[in-house]
Amino acid sequence: MQPTSSMNEEFLKKWQMGLQIFRPSIDNTSVHERKKAIKLSADVAMASLRKGTTCWSRALIEKTATEDNFLVRQMLSGIKAESLINKKLPKKIVCHRKIVRRSKKILRRKSKSASEEAAAKAKRLVKRRTQGLRNVVPGGELMSNDVLLLQETLDYIVSLQTQVNVMRSIVDAAEAEIER
Amino acid sequence: MSNRRSRQSSSASRISDDQMIDLVSKLRQFLPEIHERRRSDKVSASKVLQETCNYIRKLHREVDNLSDRLSQLLDSVDEDSPEAAVIRSLLM
Repeated sequence: MQPTSSMNEEFLKKWQMGLQIFRPSIDNTSVHERKKAIKLSADVAMASLRKGTTCWSRALIEKTATEDNFLVRQMLSGIKAESLINKKLPKKIVCHRKIVRRSKKILRRKSKSASEEAAAKAKRLVKRRTQGLRNVVPGGELMSNDVLLLQETLDYIVSLQTQVNVMRSIVDAAEAEIER
Repeated sequence: MSNRRSRQSSSASRISDDQMIDLVSKLRQFLPEIHERRRSDKVSASKVLQETCNYIRKLHREVDNLSDRLSQLLDSVDEDSPEAAVIRSLLM
């Protein structure tokens, strides 16, 4: 499960298309503006690889659209992926911590053995780490199903690696060119 | 030891051991620290999740750093220079 060369190629093509569309934010603007445009176009390119089939990619597109609605929509139409915006996202699940904590307290009072306590502690740690994962995966807070979260995480990682690999190759090549 | 209490909780929100083992085997290629450990079922679930989080954050930082370098490159190159032409051909 590694990024395939076709993923790399598709990302590069889409990103290049995106950079053309983001030209107004790149030419004669501040370094900060330029960086933002580069990242946005890279994220849209990465998310579009999944063609709306994953939750993280839909959530990421929504997020980029809040940063620059106009240019993101332009880019999506440029890469023939207009349908990706406004894809339905699962409803945000609000966790009622007070209720959960109260019921956990009741359960805890019943368990007296040390090994049961240790197991419960381990479970709480897993829960906390899982929440940490939700914070770094786009749309993670919408995935109440832990199994889904793990699957999405794996897919997200492969996509991120694609993005990093291609960007790194381009930047290395460009820097080498400048140094000549 | 069967744990009736946990089976009563929503099964959709708990990660089973099998699923965790499956995840560990897939993450092994990405996370060298886990690769060096013993068998996958001995690695704690929380450790895997933590390493995964750290790895994702690391990838985010790399993207940020690469975007930085690229925007600097586009800045430092004179619009009309041959280097600019090369960069633009690479990128656009």
